[in-house]
Amino acid sequence: MAIETLVLGAGQEVGKSCVVVNINGKRIMFDCGMHMGVSDHRRYPNFSLISPTGDFDTALSCIIITHFHLDHLGALVYFTEVCGFHGPIYMTYPTKALAPLMLEDYRKVMVERHGKEEQFNSDHIAECMKKVIAVDLRQTIQVDKDLQIRAYYAGHVLGAAMFHAKVGDSEMVYTGDYNMTPDRHLGAAQIDRLRLDLLITESTYGTTIRDSKYAREREFLDAVHKCVSAGGKVLIPTFGLGRAQELCILMDDYWERMNLKVPIYFSAGLTKQANVYYKMLINWTSQKIKDSYPANNAFDFKNVCKFERSVLDTPGPCVLFASPGMISGGLSLEVFKRWAPFENTLVALPGYCLPGTVGHVLMSKPPKIELDPNTKIDVRCQVHQLAFSPHTDSKGIMDLIKFLSPKHVILVHGEKPKMVSLKEKIHSEMGIPCYHPANNETVSVPSTVYVKAQASDAFMERCLKPNFKLHKCSSQELSIKTLTDKNIVPELQVINEKAVFIVEDKSKKLKVVHNDEVLVMLGEKKTED
Amino acid sequence: MVLLAMPFSVIYSLNQIIKNNTPESIQPISMQTFTSMMNEILNPSTPKSTVSSIFKTLIHSLLHSPESHHSQILKLIADLSSHHPSLAQLALDSLQSMLPQLTDPPSQLTIEYLDALVNISERPMEVDDSLFTSICLAASFPVRLWMVRNSGCRVMVRPELLYPVLMGMTKEPYPCLREEALEALVRLGECAVFEEVSLVKGCYERGVQLLSDNEDCVRISAVRVVSLCSVVRDMNMKVRVEVFNGLGKMEIVSKELLMQSLSKRVLVLDQSPTEQFVLLASNVAGALVHGVEDEFFEVRKSVCQSLRTLTVLSVEFAHAALNLLMDVLNDYKVEVRFQALETMHHMAINHCLELQENYMHKFLDVLEDNSSEVRFSARKIVRLMKLRNHLLFKSTMDVLLKNLDSYPQDEADIFSVLSHLGRNHKQFVDLIANEIADEVEASFEGNREFNSARMAALLVLSISAPFLNADVCPIPPVIFSFAATFLSRICCAFSDVMNRDTLLEYLIQKSSSMVQPEVNISNGEGQNPLAKDDVQNVAGNEMIHSEITINNGEGQLPLSKYNVQNVALEMKPPNDVGQHKRPVHDSVVLTYINYILVKLPNIWPKVQSCSANEVLCSLRHWKEELTSLTFDSSAPADASAFALLYLKIIKLVVEVWDHLVRKTEVVSGTVELEDKLEKLDGRAKELMNRFIGFSAEEEISVLELILLTYTLRLCRSEICSRNFIFKRMTIIYLRTESFLKLRSDVASGFVAELGSLIRESSNGGASCSSLAFDNCLKLFSPKRLMIREGIRHRRAELSIPNNCPDYPLPFAPGLTASIPCDITIHNISSNCRAWVRMCINDGFTQHVYLDLQSFEVSGEVRKISYAVPYYRTPELDSFNLKVCIGLESLFENVTPVQAHGGPKCELVLLCEEKIVYLSRVL
Repeated sequence: MAIETLVLGAGQEVGKSCVVVNINGKRIMFDCGMHMGVSDHRRYPNFSLISPTGDFDTALSCIIITHFHLDHLGALVYFTEVCGFHGPIYMTYPTKALAPLMLEDYRKVMVERHGKEEQFNSDHIAECMKKVIAVDLRQTIQVDKDLQIRAYYAGHVLGAAMFHAKVGDSEMVYTGDYNMTPDRHLGAAQIDRLRLDLLITESTYGTTIRDSKYAREREFLDAVHKCVSAGGKVLIPTFGLGRAQELCILMDDYWERMNLKVPIYFSAGLTKQANVYYKMLINWTSQKIKDSYPANNAFDFKNVCKFERSVLDTPGPCVLFASPGMISGGLSLEVFKRWAPFENTLVALPGYCLPGTVGHVLMSKPPKIELDPNTKIDVRCQVHQLAFSPHTDSKGIMDLIKFLSPKHVILVHGEKPKMVSLKEKIHSEMGIPCYHPANNETVSVPSTVYVKAQASDAFMERCLKPNFKLHKCSSQELSIKTLTDKNIVPELQVINEKAVFIVEDKSKKLKVVHNDEVLVMLGEKKTED
Repeated sequence: MVLLAMPFSVIYSLNQIIKNNTPESIQPISMQTFTSMMNEILNPSTPKSTVSSIFKTLIHSLLHSPESHHSQILKLIADLSSHHPSLAQLALDSLQSMLPQLTDPPSQLTIEYLDALVNISERPMEVDDSLFTSICLAASFPVRLWMVRNSGCRVMVRPELLYPVLMGMTKEPYPCLREEALEALVRLGECAVFEEVSLVKGCYERGVQLLSDNEDCVRISAVRVVSLCSVVRDMNMKVRVEVFNGLGKMEIVSKELLMQSLSKRVLVLDQSPTEQFVLLASNVAGALVHGVEDEFFEVRKSVCQSLRTLTVLSVEFAHAALNLLMDVLNDYKVEVRFQALETMHHMAINHCLELQENYMHKFLDVLEDNSSEVRFSARKIVRLMKLRNHLLFKSTMDVLLKNLDSYPQDEADIFSVLSHLGRNHKQFVDLIANEIADEVEASFEGNREFNSARMAALLVLSISAPFLNADVCPIPPVIFSFAATFLSRICCAFSDVMNRDTLLEYLIQKSSSMVQPEVNISNGEGQNPLAKDDVQNVAGNEMIHSEITINNGEGQLPLSKYNVQNVALEMKPPNDVGQHKRPVHDSVVLTYINYILVKLPNIWPKVQSCSANEVLCSLRHWKEELTSLTFDSSAPADASAFALLYLKIIKLVVEVWDHLVRKTEVVSGTVELEDKLEKLDGRAKELMNRFIGFSAEEEISVLELILLTYTLRLCRSEICSRNFIFKRMTIIYLRTESFLKLRSDVASGFVAELGSLIRESSNGGASCSSLAFDNCLKLFSPKRLMIREGIRHRRAELSIPNNCPDYPLPFAPGLTASIPCDITIHNISSNCRAWVRMCINDGFTQHVYLDLQSFEVSGEVRKISYAVPYYRTPELDSFNLKVCIGLESLFENVTPVQAHGGPKCELVLLCEEKIVYLSRVL
């Protein structure tokens, strides 16, 4: 028996995560993402490899989506509604709640802003979501007679989960994206010690070892505090989900602790909508938020005020969260235009900005930014870059592998050179065979099959007793030992005795017996002979 | 007869049981009987014989009743033995004798017997090898569990046997047995029976194996065995907490590993490391960083706690770990922030806290935390800080002042921190002294908005700077005057070193230098010998070796070379002296007293040159130092009492000196002066009469001091009883002279001049002018006095038992009342004449002679319980008597006191007056 892993996406790259695993005859698709950097047919995984005939319903037992990011979710509607998959789709409750928001937002941006041909419409999204079965953490789902799946907390984003799948005696875990260090609003990944044949893990930061996030937080807060205490305004261009909440909690805490009274504004849009979900899904957040929940909901930010356009021109210090991130348009660009010419303004860029966006240009701190031939902005503001990543670093990956000790590891969702070095490391440090298949490649690893055997009564009885014997050293042995090291060697020595014999009886069934019995059986045989 | 006291059912059952002594006929004891027996056992008034018959019955029934009853019976026997310890041994013996029949094979019953045995004996029970092994190998799981759980604590087994068995047990199929076996191994390790490395290693290796156990509870215990970093990323929170608790207990860790624990990257080491080390390093890597990043505050707190011990191990590590702790100061949980600060405080005490400039900024932020615990904890660290430069000092000061605005409720603490800050950074305070003075003056003169809290804070800072550094300071004296107006508000800031009154004196003294020429006190010898590292004394109750320097005119002499530890050198407010008294070694006390006394001649020039204030300050300070001493034995206590009295007299002399000798205007009127002279007289008498065992040298010093007091009185021209005083002085003088002759010593200038004066005046002191005495006084200077251990203090302790305003003693008017007194007298020989003096408010005094022969003698101490009669009970409903013990002063019986049956000479009181309350019964 073997576990066959077909990597349809995120093999030696980041984007369009999609892995199809055949485990003891059951085929599961983990994630169904799209590639955000490509706009042709390569943006979707090559689904034809699953079934050349297009009969996906028989080819796949189910689809499991780990979290709502588009590179894990984006191709789902296309696959179900356009390609026509009618089987069950599993995702966690928060993912199910947030997935339509994400998909709709994406569709709007693509169609309405970029004028691209639409791949699916709103009705498709609604239809697709009807096929989704929501699961809870650590809830064991019997997909069919043989297949069992269970979700574990993964950190990363709200609702992200690792999935454990079990068919017969073979077990595997697909991690999706995960984070081993907790942040303010999400906890660290949590999983049981399992006996795994295969672990498929992300490897985004396969070679990076990140230092304590505290230093970065400290710098960020210092910069913000300095700016507002000098009467300046702070602009934080950020996307509504995850990072915005993280930063907001960080600042709300700091405000509380330092008794700051400077207002913080949260611009409307996705962020506000998302906050509603965050408030409801407390169970999926970090321990910190759970702890404080009875007193107040951490997402009811105490220091966050209602945003109105007038605040943009109100004098005095303030902090504003504006979408979209990267200052690619919308409110964040508008505010940037107004505030950038002032020296006491601070623009904090949380995370990486794609080339072509204002944010990317801003990182090189130019004196002027030319938006279009008619618009030039004097940039006199300060710029602070923040590196907050919700992915685990290489040490986290290693720690997870060490904890789970699977028999095989497959790396996905990472750049090839990093994967190679991480693979070497896993192999050399833990002696676990590791693979890093490219897209559309298949890796096959052997799976565990337990053979049933009957245990003899004598064996069972022995099992309930302690499995060691005490052996009294003979006086001769003792006398020798006393010469050398009198105190060390106890007169009694422990002898492990769980000698187990497996015998095949006449009916060709396996039987486990105790060694005492073996002697008897051998004796019988002899007499028979 | 005994049986009558028992309920019928019990009697019946007992009778039944005892009568039918054959096993077949025995009826099982019913539940009801058990209950009655229990009642009897618990009832303390049950006769002994009943208890013992119950006991017999129980033991008997153990032998004959079915096994299912045994556990109840055993429980009763255990209860019985705990309530009636006399039967415990018997119970033990009986149960022990039954044990062997039950051990083959060991069953639940065996365990119940053993449990009962352990409970009864109340101390660990020794179990022989064969019983132990048979139980540990028993088929029944609970039986094995009991043994493992109790081995090493309630059951004692030879470690040589226990160790292998426990090692075997760690491979048990049952998780809880594995867990208990590991715990038992930990216990075994704690008893330090592991003398051999190989045993520890075996234990350790097994622990490591079990770190990957599937059961959480086993992993938790395994961590306790190995305390390994490799599991800091365990998925179970409790495991992680245990890991860091374990790390906190480490005593030997290499510096390299400690440094590694702070970095997630495996560090490159200079020397080529072994393969094992590399593996270890990769396990350890970033362990502490992961800990402080943990989601659960319990884990983060545990990390901070473990850093307490770990930082002490290596200074380099402490510096690096500080970076981590600074980050934790940003934690959202108050508990964690608080623990981080406590750890930093601990580091500061252990001298391994070095706050770099870049950290200071962050640290100062914490001072503004909105949790009061955190703020207090942070300020605790500020108290210990020694800042590098002026800017840091300034910003710290500013933050504290800002703090005062934001958290007015913290005022007292902030003032106290500022006072420490000032004391520790004199040079920086000096730099901004003028700035502060300007601001304060401007405010006081109304030129600026008056922010009283800020003013008080600035004043605290300014006045604290010259406090430990008595040399010339640039703080304008007017600051001290301003500070005095805030006295009650700021005195708490100095409560660790002085009380309100001392602070006032200090302020007055400092501000008075405004009018009088500045006297450089540092080249005189009045410098306050305060502990240099006073800071540490304040830091906590840790024993810190104080280095005390005392200027004795021959250069600095560290007292610590006399092995003084914690000699009480902090000035204590008198009211809380009692709480802070510390026992000091006898010989050290004497040395210490002498160091104070030796300084007296040196301060005398200052008395003569009108700097009485400074001298008084020093004297007061020394006095307080002496009062703060406590003693193991009486000898140093006596010496200290002598020195104290001696100092008090000198102080009074100094107080009257200015008026009498220098003829300055008496400010507060003559009454006060008269009072002081009266007091001086009394003290002088006390010095003469209440101490014995002087050496010749001491005697001469004392006599000279007494001559001085008389001379002072004689200086005062208005005095009417000149002749009388002169007569007394003459007696003392003659005594002095004879002493000097005996030792063939030369009289001091003062004594010689006085002698010639006495010889000249044939008709008493009346003929001498006060000017003549003045001239004598100018020649006086205190003798350099070194006291020895021989001085004995004559004193008495008087107590009247069971008497207070609420419980007065009865009396009937006109009839003699008896006053029960417990009297203890010290260092008074039987040939002395001691009296009980009783005064009533109207002035009538009654004396009762104490027959010292009738006292119970032990060494120098005599004791008696004596009902003192009081004859003149008044016609009142109630009255108070002032009672005390006095000794007849045979030393100067110039004018015998005329008393009717009372003492022939003046009485010197040996104790404080006690008030006795009496109330009429008829």
